[in-house]
Amino acid sequence: MSVPTWSNVAPADAPAVVLSGVTRVFGVTPAVVRVDLRVERGQIVLVRGSNGAGKSTLLRILATLLSPTYGSGAVLGFDLLRDREAIRERTELLGHRTRLYEDLTGAENLRFACAMFGLDRAGIPGALERVGLRTVARELVRGYSQGMRQRVAVARAILRRPQLLLLDEPYAGLDTEARGVVDEVVLETNGRGGTVVLATHEPTRGGFAGRTLFMEAGRLLPEAHPAMEEVRA
Amino acid sequence: MTMLRQAAAIAGKDLRIEVRGRYALGAVLPFAATLLIAFGMSLGPGETLLRETAPGLLWLAVMFASVLSFRRAYQAEGEDGALEGLALAPIDRAAVFLGKAAAVAVQLWALEVAIVLLVSGLFGLPVGRGVGVMMAGFALGTVGLAAVGSLFGVLEESPRAREAVFPLLVLPLATPVLLAGVKATALATAGRGGQAGGWLGLLGAFDAVFLAAGTLVFGYLLDD
Amino acid sequence: MGRTRVQAAERVAGRVVARRGERVLGALAAAGVAATVVMALWVTPPDAVQGDVFRLIYLHVPAAWLAYLAFAVVFVASIAYLRTQRTRWDRLAAASAEVGVLFTALTLVIGSIWAKPVWGTWWTWDPRLTTTAILLLIYLGYLAVRRLPDSPARRGRWAAVVGVVGFVDVPIVHLSVTWWRSLHQAPAVARFAPRMAPSMAWTLVLAVVAFTLLYAYIVTLRLRVGRLEERAMAEALSPRLGPGAGASASASPEAQAAEEVPAGG
Repeated sequence: MSVPTWSNVAPADAPAVVLSGVTRVFGVTPAVVRVDLRVERGQIVLVRGSNGAGKSTLLRILATLLSPTYGSGAVLGFDLLRDREAIRERTELLGHRTRLYEDLTGAENLRFACAMFGLDRAGIPGALERVGLRTVARELVRGYSQGMRQRVAVARAILRRPQLLLLDEPYAGLDTEARGVVDEVVLETNGRGGTVVLATHEPTRGGFAGRTLFMEAGRLLPEAHPAMEEVRA
Repeated sequence: MTMLRQAAAIAGKDLRIEVRGRYALGAVLPFAATLLIAFGMSLGPGETLLRETAPGLLWLAVMFASVLSFRRAYQAEGEDGALEGLALAPIDRAAVFLGKAAAVAVQLWALEVAIVLLVSGLFGLPVGRGVGVMMAGFALGTVGLAAVGSLFGVLEESPRAREAVFPLLVLPLATPVLLAGVKATALATAGRGGQAGGWLGLLGAFDAVFLAAGTLVFGYLLDD
Repeated sequence: MGRTRVQAAERVAGRVVARRGERVLGALAAAGVAATVVMALWVTPPDAVQGDVFRLIYLHVPAAWLAYLAFAVVFVASIAYLRTQRTRWDRLAAASAEVGVLFTALTLVIGSIWAKPVWGTWWTWDPRLTTTAILLLIYLGYLAVRRLPDSPARRGRWAAVVGVVGFVDVPIVHLSVTWWRSLHQAPAVARFAPRMAPSMAWTLVLAVVAFTLLYAYIVTLRLRVGRLEERAMAEALSPRLGPGAGASASASPEAQAAEEVPAGG
């Protein structure tokens, strides 16, 4: 998408995520507090914590939607503040807000995403098929259920083939089948060497192996925290 | 994809949404009509006064219509967090600014045809004379309104946007458009369109300045 | 550890010096304003045509000058903030905008008071006054925008955009209003300042200088209050952030508030 510059080139073995003292404050309310984190490529990381623990904010910082108030970091080797476009090219955020346009059809939303992310439209029918939306792709999103919307978002993630997939409470309001579709894209991303960070307070179905992190009141608990044992069990 | 093609994609998306949702037709045009009728009633039935004030009322209706159109344009992005989708895309931020400005400009041009016809009917404004100058005035003025509106419309996405900040910003900044547009329209309908050159030039300068400014600074508003 | 103590000492020393400079500035401003008042009310003669009402010029012209100077400062500070992300520029822009609003409103009020005896109406749609009224509205928009976002960085950026775009718009507004106005009366509008005796001209210069000093003093005070506000916020915040691993990797919020360099700086 962009002309290669120094900032556009990062070592291929750079960790997926490195955060150092990252803090994000809204007014006088801290949402994320002094987070140090390192995630190697190819890992699947689960981030657990109750509502308001700061998981969403953390993911949004990684996605470059928010900048940290203090601290620094790098995603896929690109600086959080200076190389945001490079991060955006390689990262996809799947949240409970699906970022779709109500008055466009599912297919049209995907076509627009292809235009915005420089993707080939030819992949759209295949992606729709994989998420089971082939038949309703021509209908306006306004009539979709939450499960159907989330599937469009998953189709978008499939088309994008991101190196880092961030999921923020993706299972909210989904039926079993739709949850399966989400799990599938997680495994598929990881299968081709991508990194996944999944934040949820629900127990997951897929039983993904990998790290589990726990967030509370904006802080990342040390991984030896006793609460972790319960979660891992 | 170059910035202009990204902007075209965004403009196309916005126009498609507008055609499907018909907000301009269903809400803005009736509002403009209501406004004009209210103007007409408040200024009394005297024909001369109405004809003289018609250009001003016309442009006031257009300016309010532009505020509503931009409010809608940016709130459509808020429905499912779609504005974040634009922020997450590795596109030039100016593409969002220009794309949304272009889409609303097209909608406003369509609205202006209807508003001019309304004003012609309600206030007896003779629109036959100087049509060319009048159209040029609307073409240029609309671009200026679109530039200002697209730039600051993104503020409508803020959670505290219920404080009417957007109109407070746009209307004073767009003062040159109001003055020049009204003058150009008045001169055109009075048959003196040839004298409107300076006003049209002023509109062109305003457009250039605000399109350039918006292209340069929109990113600071969109990104966090 | 030793280094931070030296830095703290330097900061304190700097503040003492700044406080002294502030007082000098305040004294000069007070002296200038006092001298202006004396000159304006007693030393200068009343105008041949307008009489004593004309003395309002010694308040009106400086106030108008300051309204535009303050906005020019907002413009420059806004650009500086957008390019460097250093909060000191945002603070300066905000302080200048607040003072600017006051002087703009003052300009309009004086202009109105002046218009009544001279022209018979409270408002004359004079091009310069009308532009000043638009300027006031743009300022108010600037201040309103500052209240919207919840993060200081976003607030600074949004306000800076308004500060830059607004200032660029002012000449265009002035041009359009001047043309608009010139259609309705003879271009040779009776000036507010016809022939002036030398003492009047000098007093005007003195008034402009004195009020500029006053502006600088008030902005300096406002900046100091701004720094205190930020310190208070940082102190309210820091217990919630608390101690933590890796705190030194990027300076603590308190240190950063004092040095005004958050993550991007």
